Amino acid sequence: MFERPPKVIVTKIGFDGHDRGSRIIAACLRDAGMEVIYTPPWQEISTVVKLAIEEDADVIGISSLATDHLIVPKLMLALREAGVEDVQVIVGGIVPTKDEALLIDSGVARVFHPGSSLQDIVDEVRLLAGKRKNQNGAQV
Amino acid sequence: MKNDTLSFRDGILSGDRRIISRAITSVENGSEQAYAIRSAIANHLGRAHVIGVTGPPGGGKSTLVSALIRLLRLRGQKVAVVAIDPSSPITGGAVLGDRIRMGSQQADDGVFIRSLASRGHLGGLARATGDVIDVFDAAGFDTIIVETVGAGQSEVEITKFADTRLVICPPGLGDDIQAIKAGVLEIADAFVVTKADLPDANRTHRELESMLALRSDKSVVPPVLQIIATTGQGIEVLVDWLSSRPQRGARHSSGGTQSVLKMLSQLISADQYARLLGFELVAAAPGSATVRMQVIDQHMNFNNRCHGGAIFSLGDTALGLACNSYGTIASLIDGQLSIVSAVEKGEWLLAHAFEVSRTRKIGSYRVDITRMKDSSHVSGMHGTVYFLDKPNPALVMPSLKK
Amino acid sequence: MTTTETMNVTDEQLEAGTRWEREFAAGVSGEGTTLNRSGIEVKPLYTPADCSNDSYLDALGFPGEYPYTRGIYPTMYRGRSWSQRQLIGLGVPEDYNLRVKEMLALGASALSLIPCNSVFRGYDADEVPIELLGTCGTVINHVEDMERALAGVPIGELSTAMNDPTPFTLLAFELAVARKNGVPWSKITGTSNQSDCISHFVANHMFFRLDLQGARRVVVDHIEFANKHLPGWNPLSIVGQHMQQAGATPAEAMAFTLCSAIQYAEDCIARGMDPDRFLPRFTFFFDISVSFFEEVAKFRAGRRVWAKLCRERFGAKDPRSWRFKFHGQTSGVDLTRQQPLNNISRVSVQAMAGIFGGLQSLHTDGYDEVLSTPTTESARIAVATQNILREEAHLTDVIDPLGGSFYVESLTDQMQKKIESIIDLIDAAGGMYSAVGKGLVQQMIGQSALKFQKRIDTGEQTVVGVNAYKVDEDPESYPTLQYPDRLRMQAQVERLAQFKANRSASSVKNSLDSLARTANTKEGNVFEQVVASAEAGATHGEICGTLRRELGFGHPLTIV
Repeated sequence: MFERPPKVIVTKIGFDGHDRGSRIIAACLRDAGMEVIYTPPWQEISTVVKLAIEEDADVIGISSLATDHLIVPKLMLALREAGVEDVQVIVGGIVPTKDEALLIDSGVARVFHPGSSLQDIVDEVRLLAGKRKNQNGAQV
Repeated sequence: MKNDTLSFRDGILSGDRRIISRAITSVENGSEQAYAIRSAIANHLGRAHVIGVTGPPGGGKSTLVSALIRLLRLRGQKVAVVAIDPSSPITGGAVLGDRIRMGSQQADDGVFIRSLASRGHLGGLARATGDVIDVFDAAGFDTIIVETVGAGQSEVEITKFADTRLVICPPGLGDDIQAIKAGVLEIADAFVVTKADLPDANRTHRELESMLALRSDKSVVPPVLQIIATTGQGIEVLVDWLSSRPQRGARHSSGGTQSVLKMLSQLISADQYARLLGFELVAAAPGSATVRMQVIDQHMNFNNRCHGGAIFSLGDTALGLACNSYGTIASLIDGQLSIVSAVEKGEWLLAHAFEVSRTRKIGSYRVDITRMKDSSHVSGMHGTVYFLDKPNPALVMPSLKK
Repeated sequence: MTTTETMNVTDEQLEAGTRWEREFAAGVSGEGTTLNRSGIEVKPLYTPADCSNDSYLDALGFPGEYPYTRGIYPTMYRGRSWSQRQLIGLGVPEDYNLRVKEMLALGASALSLIPCNSVFRGYDADEVPIELLGTCGTVINHVEDMERALAGVPIGELSTAMNDPTPFTLLAFELAVARKNGVPWSKITGTSNQSDCISHFVANHMFFRLDLQGARRVVVDHIEFANKHLPGWNPLSIVGQHMQQAGATPAEAMAFTLCSAIQYAEDCIARGMDPDRFLPRFTFFFDISVSFFEEVAKFRAGRRVWAKLCRERFGAKDPRSWRFKFHGQTSGVDLTRQQPLNNISRVSVQAMAGIFGGLQSLHTDGYDEVLSTPTTESARIAVATQNILREEAHLTDVIDPLGGSFYVESLTDQMQKKIESIIDLIDAAGGMYSAVGKGLVQQMIGQSALKFQKRIDTGEQTVVGVNAYKVDEDPESYPTLQYPDRLRMQAQVERLAQFKANRSASSVKNSLDSLARTANTKEGNVFEQVVASAEAGATHGEICGTLRRELGFGHPLTIV
């Protein structure tokens, strides 16, 4: 049986378009042996949910600038309503510390701030993907 | 979510997206569940039309697939896409970037796109592609498009899984056209020249046709179609042609599109006027037909342009075939033609007729007439037809054929 | 040290050079060379042997003369300082108005308007989640919003930079306001700062979502309209900033920008426009990184390459057509969230590089740029930085003061070579539109970005406060994101509703129908219809929505 590598969606919701960081993360995750669905910015929340379902994603990485992180709780709600709350979500970018608790409370697994090492992010994604597999039992 | 085989099977058959997705993961990984899932759905296969699409990167493949999906959706089909990207041979990772190029289809619930990494498998596909296609087939998708990236060298593997194999050729391939290896030439059911608005498109078209003429098997010559995916020109012809193709386990019934092509071929051969003017049937489907003609001396009027009557006849023939495609007589009772471009001698025209609406007695049809070389619009026609409950004599008495 | 130009070098010099090399190697361990961001080797010392053999006139020329290496005008900053054009954009129109007046009082000599991200994306305030409104720019959806934003500002006398991509609705609103207030369009000056649709497709910061080919048509329409009706307006600003911020090296950013410019110029020529009429109104917009000398060389090389392209490739005859006019903005990508006050130093260095590079207008970032729109204080410091450089450090007393530096001239030559080789590469790929459609450019930029990130991660490239010289900082002390007042945003949405209720629905419908028809046929000028729609009371979202329907929804092609 093939040991499936982590499947990760790297995406941006909201209106910011700066995607240099998210492209770099996607490349690093690929170089670390993961399968990455990379989307352009400005994705609708409903589209991200659809992606997560169709691709059977383990982790969603959101890259956020400006106030885009303020709608992440909406994404978490949409994932729950679609029955895919087992998908792990991380957020990276500019998130004021005062809003970090807001995100964690809504179900985000971890928030990464600027200056975080790429290796840290890769390790966390691997950890969370493993967590999801265990949650789903001896399925795949 | 329960993980047993029965709930997998029930979920797939009822079209539950999460379960379809999990089942795909399962067969992709070859898990313990995979065998059971494959058996559970084995009796529910054969409905979908599987189309393989291959071509070089940057060739306009994704734009074409996007346009195809849009039209298939408009015709009421549920569409699944398997998008295959290569895994890195060194790290084993992959960026699955095919699906993001399909734009607006991301949000359509009647479309299910799944990305697969090749995971070291050569031949252009992922190892589990066949199984993934089966899951979609059992789930009730009408068309399954399998997209691979290739420079025209090794994706002959698609021949195992696809009913119809499209090879994309962007214009300006130049010397690269020689690089389309013999294998790909053999397996292609049709060649699509994308970005047909580019200057090199006609040259690429001609080069393809001359290469195809050199094939050993001359019984079936794959058509070369020109498409401008961004505007949609040529897509209808492609989709019509696709719907006339045999699909997995297709049965030959009077409603099947395979037999519509046969039927309309019979009708047009029995049409003396059509033969006189040199009309040829190109594609057919229930309610639609495509006919072509080359403009020759006998079609010219006193202004040295193609006679409007000839154009009307072409459109009328296509329309007539389209509305007679149900096997019963239909007659034009009102027709209107507009011509917006003068046609010169030597030009090839294509008339594509399709049904707009139909009741038991009355039908409304439209015809688009374009130049084959660049899909530019020449004429538009619409007509009202009256249906009789009598069968076409040409079909009942085949001896009428010359 | 290799010397290729033996004519410059006497035997004595050669010997002395070799002596120095030996002593240098003895005194310094390890490598004596490094690579700059563009991948060019940087040696510890430069001498005349490193410079070209060409005569002064051929290689450099005087300022204001071909090939313009030393500057596009004979007088440069002695005649007229660069425009201090600070980007402004925040909140509701009244907030913008206030800030503009503050900046003008502090010495800014030109305006710039940045709209809210929702506007960049083509939506009105009533179509988007309220959490996303007004943070990165001003919310302007219709002509009355623009009126409020520009109230009391002498638009006939000041140059405005409109940061608004196709279809340039904000300029349309400004023209409508001008007409209402009796300011003739001939007196409206400024630039369409985000008119470069290719740069958006490649490095999609503010991508507008019109299909690329649709945007291409609108850009040429816009240039034609400006040629006819707006003699003081620069309709095309070709942008290198986005690509450099996305990770392109400085040489790549300059090269790709010039390649885009080539496509636009060729489109205009194909439309029958005279190069000597449209080229003088092409302007450029670049990022200025903290890699000081590299940026100076980049701009000097850019001037030379552009002049050659205009004269030889486009066949322009008027020397005024060969001038490389550009606006520079200090790069936000070099700024850090940690120890934010350090950014003031970084911005000073970047600004200096731009000044020595010979820019025509400059924006300096606020130190809190990393978070979002600057506060009044940080904006004030940014403007003061420019005033200090000019009036205290006297950086403008001499034209092209770094000219003649062995290093800078050698680096300029090498940057030019690199730029030209990339232009050749893109030409071979069929031009910029074709290369971008294939993803070639995006791939190159992505690779450069990854390479640079790895250098930072390994510590090879120091970033003060991030991977070196760190201090324990209380995250609470970081300047916080200023969220716009939710109530003011709500009021803005309500005002939009009122505006829609009070306007003539039929005028709007007719104008949008005309717009759709023009977009659909190959005839007619789309931008002209945009202006007509703006005057009829159509909103930004309605205009963009109509054009998206007719010209297509664009989707950027991203390559990782």
